[in-house]
Amino acid sequence: MTGRAEFLERIRREVSKTPGLFGASPAPRPADPATAAETVRRELAERWPAALERFRIEFERVSGVFHRVPSLDAVPAVIGAIARERGALRAVTWDPAALGFDAAPALIRDGLEVVAARAGEEDEAARLRHRAQAAGAQLGVTGADFVLAETGTLILLSGSGRPGSTSLLPDVHVAVFGRDRLVETLEQVGVMLEALHVDPDRAMSGAMINFITGPSRTADIELTLTRGVHGPKEVHAVFVEAP
Amino acid sequence: MAAAVRASLMITCLGDVFFPEVGVAMVRLLRRLGVEVDFPEGQTCCGLPLFNSGYHHDAARVAARTVKLFERAEHVVVPSGSCAWMVKIEYPGLLKHDPALHAVAESLARRTRELSQFIVEVLGIAKIESSFEGKVTYHDSCHLLRGLGESASPRTLLRGVAGVELVELPGADECCGFGGSFSVRLPEVSTSILDKKLANVESTGARCLVACDAGCLMQMGGGLTRRGSTVKAVHLAQVLAGEVEG
Amino acid sequence: MSDAALRTPFPQRAGAALKDAFLQEALTIATTKFIDLRKEAFAGFPQGEALRDRARAIKEATLQHLHVHLERLADNVERLGGHVHWATTAEEAREMVLRICRDRGVRMAVKSKSMATEEIDLNEALEHAGVVPVETDLGEYIIQLAREKPSHIIAPAIHKTKGQVAELFSRELGGEFPADPEVLTAVARRALREKFLQADMGITGANFAVADTGTVVLVTNEGNGRMVTSLPRIHVALMGVEKVIPSMSDLVVFLAILARSATGQKLSSYTTLVRGPRRAGELEGPEEFHLILLDNGRSRQIASTLREALYCLRCGACLNVCPVYRQIGGHAYGYTYPGPIGILLTAMLKGNESVRDLAHASSLCGACKDVCPVRIDIPRMLVELREHLDREKIAPWTERVAFKTLGRLLRSPAAFRLSAAAARWLQKPFVREGRLRALPLVFGKWTRTRDLPPVAARTFRERWEELR
Repeated sequence: MTGRAEFLERIRREVSKTPGLFGASPAPRPADPATAAETVRRELAERWPAALERFRIEFERVSGVFHRVPSLDAVPAVIGAIARERGALRAVTWDPAALGFDAAPALIRDGLEVVAARAGEEDEAARLRHRAQAAGAQLGVTGADFVLAETGTLILLSGSGRPGSTSLLPDVHVAVFGRDRLVETLEQVGVMLEALHVDPDRAMSGAMINFITGPSRTADIELTLTRGVHGPKEVHAVFVEAP
Repeated sequence: MAAAVRASLMITCLGDVFFPEVGVAMVRLLRRLGVEVDFPEGQTCCGLPLFNSGYHHDAARVAARTVKLFERAEHVVVPSGSCAWMVKIEYPGLLKHDPALHAVAESLARRTRELSQFIVEVLGIAKIESSFEGKVTYHDSCHLLRGLGESASPRTLLRGVAGVELVELPGADECCGFGGSFSVRLPEVSTSILDKKLANVESTGARCLVACDAGCLMQMGGGLTRRGSTVKAVHLAQVLAGEVEG
Repeated sequence: MSDAALRTPFPQRAGAALKDAFLQEALTIATTKFIDLRKEAFAGFPQGEALRDRARAIKEATLQHLHVHLERLADNVERLGGHVHWATTAEEAREMVLRICRDRGVRMAVKSKSMATEEIDLNEALEHAGVVPVETDLGEYIIQLAREKPSHIIAPAIHKTKGQVAELFSRELGGEFPADPEVLTAVARRALREKFLQADMGITGANFAVADTGTVVLVTNEGNGRMVTSLPRIHVALMGVEKVIPSMSDLVVFLAILARSATGQKLSSYTTLVRGPRRAGELEGPEEFHLILLDNGRSRQIASTLREALYCLRCGACLNVCPVYRQIGGHAYGYTYPGPIGILLTAMLKGNESVRDLAHASSLCGACKDVCPVRIDIPRMLVELREHLDREKIAPWTERVAFKTLGRLLRSPAAFRLSAAAARWLQKPFVREGRLRALPLVFGKWTRTRDLPPVAARTFRERWEELR
C-alpha cells in the first residue's frame, strides 16, 4: 500500500515539471467571511421581497409548492391541509427549538401522529427508533437555513435535533422559513458557506449540508421524468411573513 | 478607386484535383470584385490530413514549404474552412522550432482568409450582384464554424444573391461525418452521421446545399448522388459567381 | 466490458451498434433532448460563459498545486475524524475497500453512481469477497440487475427500453410489472428503500472535494446520494485526485455550470456536502467516514499531453454532441468512460496501446470542446494522442508507411501532379455517369456508401493557364 508521503511526493514531482502553464486562479475568497456574510445579509434585508418572488418562481419551476402565511401561528393549518389532501397519517419534525416553533400540538389535534426529533438524543436505540419513524412517516417538517432564490433551492444543515432524514425519507417534505433565510445567488451561498466554516460554533455542529432543489427525480427509464424515486415526491416551502 | 487588392489563391489539394470548377468560379468572382488574383504554382496541400492523423513532423515539413511559397502574398484566399484553419491556427505551432519560419507563419496566418471571410472582412462587401433561382440551404463546416468562429459571412453573402431563398438547415452546425481519414477508417459510422445530415438537407426542400469546404462537399455530394437525390451540393463560390449548372 | 468483448475490434463493435435499431433510436432521442436542455439552460444564463472561464481557471490553478490541496483536504478530513487512504493503483483502491469490509464485518454495501468505482471494477471485487454491492441510482440499478455496464456517464441505462426494464424487474424482483416508467420507478423505490436501511456501508464517488473544509460533495437527482451517505454506519468515498478544489467559493462556481451542462437544470435536485462522520449530538450519519484518494495513472498526465482531461467534471455534455457517440453509444467504446473525453481518460488510465483504434473515433468536429463546461480542448488532445501513436509505433506500420509516403508526395509538386495524372488514368474503368461508384482496395471503404468525384479531366492547375 502506498503511504501518504510517497503519494504526495509523486504528485509534487509531476507538478514541479509544469510551473504555471496557463493563466489560472481560484475563485476569490472573502478575506473576512463573517463580515462578508454580514454585508450580504444587510443588503438582503432591504431586497427580500424581490428575492422571495424570484424564489417562488424558481421553486415552482422545479415543481415545488409555495405557501405564504402571515405568522407562525398559521403554519400548522397549512401543514394540516397538506396532510389531509394526501391522506397522511404520520409526520416527523425537527426539534421545535431548531424549527422555531412546535407544530405538534396543532397537528395532533388534526388527527396526525407526530414525532419530533429531540436535540441531544444520540444513542443507538434512539437512532433506530427515529429512523423507523421517519421511514414510516408520510410527512417531514423542517426549517431551512438558507433559501436560494436564483435556483429555487432549500439549504439545510444537519445537526442535533435536525436529522437529515426528515427531509428525505417521508413522501412529502415541508420546509418553513422566514425572510432572514433568503439569499439571492449561488455566489452569496459561497460567502455564507465560507462564513459558516470559520464559525467555531456552527462549523462543527453537523456533518451534512443538503441543497434541495425540488423533489427527488429521475429520467433513467426512456428519459421519462418521474418524481419520488428515493426521496420525497413533493416539496413544499412555507414562507412566514412576520419577521 | 484605390489600388486593387491582390490575393493569392490557395486552391487546396481537393479543390485542385476534384473540384477545379470551384477554383475557376472563385477566380472569376474575385476578379469581378476587383481583386487581382494569382496562383503560386508550387502548391500542393496544406498538410491537414497528415496533421490530423498525428504525423506532425511530416505536416510541419509541408507547412514549411507552403509558408515560403506564400511568403510574399498580400492576402491568401482559401475555398475551404479547414485548410484556412490549418494555416491560421496550426502552422505557427508546427513551425515554432524555427524562429524565422515561425515568424513567417505568424504573418501568413494573419493574411490568410477563407473565401467568405475574405469577401466580407477584407473587401467589405456584403452583397454580390448575381442571381440564382430557388431555395438553398447552408451547412456550417466544423472548422469554419468552431475553428474560425464564422457562421455569418456565408449566410450574409447567400442572402444577398437575387432570387436566393436561404432556408436554415436543421442541425446546420452538426458534423457531416467527413473528418478526413475518419471517413475511411470508420466508414459505417461516417455514413451514419452523413445519413442524418442528408435527411435534414432533404427536409428543407432546398435545390442546392451550399458549403465552404471541399471535404464536406465531397462527403455530402457523394452521399446525395448515391441516394439519387435531386439536391445538388455546391460551393459558395459557384452560387456567388452564378455558375451553378443545371 | 469483459475482456472477451474487447477482443472484438472497435470497428466491429461500432458496426454492431449501428445495426441495433432500438439503440439508434434511443441515442437520437436522448442526445437530442440533452443537447436542447443544455442549450436552453445556457441561453437564459448570460453569466454562464464567464463562469465557465472561471471554472477552467480554478481547475488549472488547483492542478498547479495539487499536492498542497490534497494534503489540506486530507488534514481536514482527519481533523473531523475521518480516515484518508492513498491509492496509487486501482488494485490498491479495491484492496482498501475490501479491508474495511473485512475489518467491520460488512455484508452489504449500497452505492450511489460513481464512475470512479466503475473505473476500478469495485463491484466485481466486492462480490468476489462476499459483500453484496447494490447500485442505487435507478439507471445503475437497472444495468446491475442486467449485468451490463453503463452506456452514458449520466444516463447509464439509456440503451434500454421500458419493456426491457419491466421484463428485467419482473424476473429479478419477482412480480409482473407493466412497461410503465412510473410503476417501475416505484418498484425500484420499494426494493432499494429496504437495502438502504439494511446496508452496513455506503459507497460513493465525489463530484468535488473542498480542501479548505474537508468536504466531499455529491450531486444527484434521485436522492440516493443522501441515503447512502447518511443511513449506513460506514461511508466510503472514492475520488480521483483531480476532484479536489480549494474552497467553498470555488464550489459554487462549479455548481452553477455542472447541472446546466449535464441535464439543463439550474441545480440538480440534491447537492450533498459531507464533512466526515456524524458529530456529537447528531442522530444520523455514519459513525465512520473513509476517503480514498485515487491516482491510477492521473498524476502521470499532470505534466503531459492529457493534462486538460484532468479538468473533466463528468457531466456528459461532450457525449451528447459527439457525432460518433450519437451513432454508436457508450458500450462500443469498450471501456468505463465513453465518448470523446472517454478516449482521453482511457488513454490516461489504461495507456496509449488501449486507444490505438479509439483515438481515431472522432471526426475532430470540435462540438465537444464547444460544450465542455471547462472548455477542455478535446480535439487537440486527440490529435496529440494520435501523434503519440505514430511516435511510439503503436499505429500499424502499413498506416505509418502510407502517411510518410503521402508526406513526401505533398512536398513535391511534380510528384503531386504526376499522382493526379496517374489516378486519372487508373480510374478510367471505374467511372460511371461521371462518378466513381465502386473502387477497389481502401477506396472501397468510401465508395461502398458514397460516390466519389473522379479526378477532373483537367485539374485547376491545368486550367490556370487559360485563366491568367
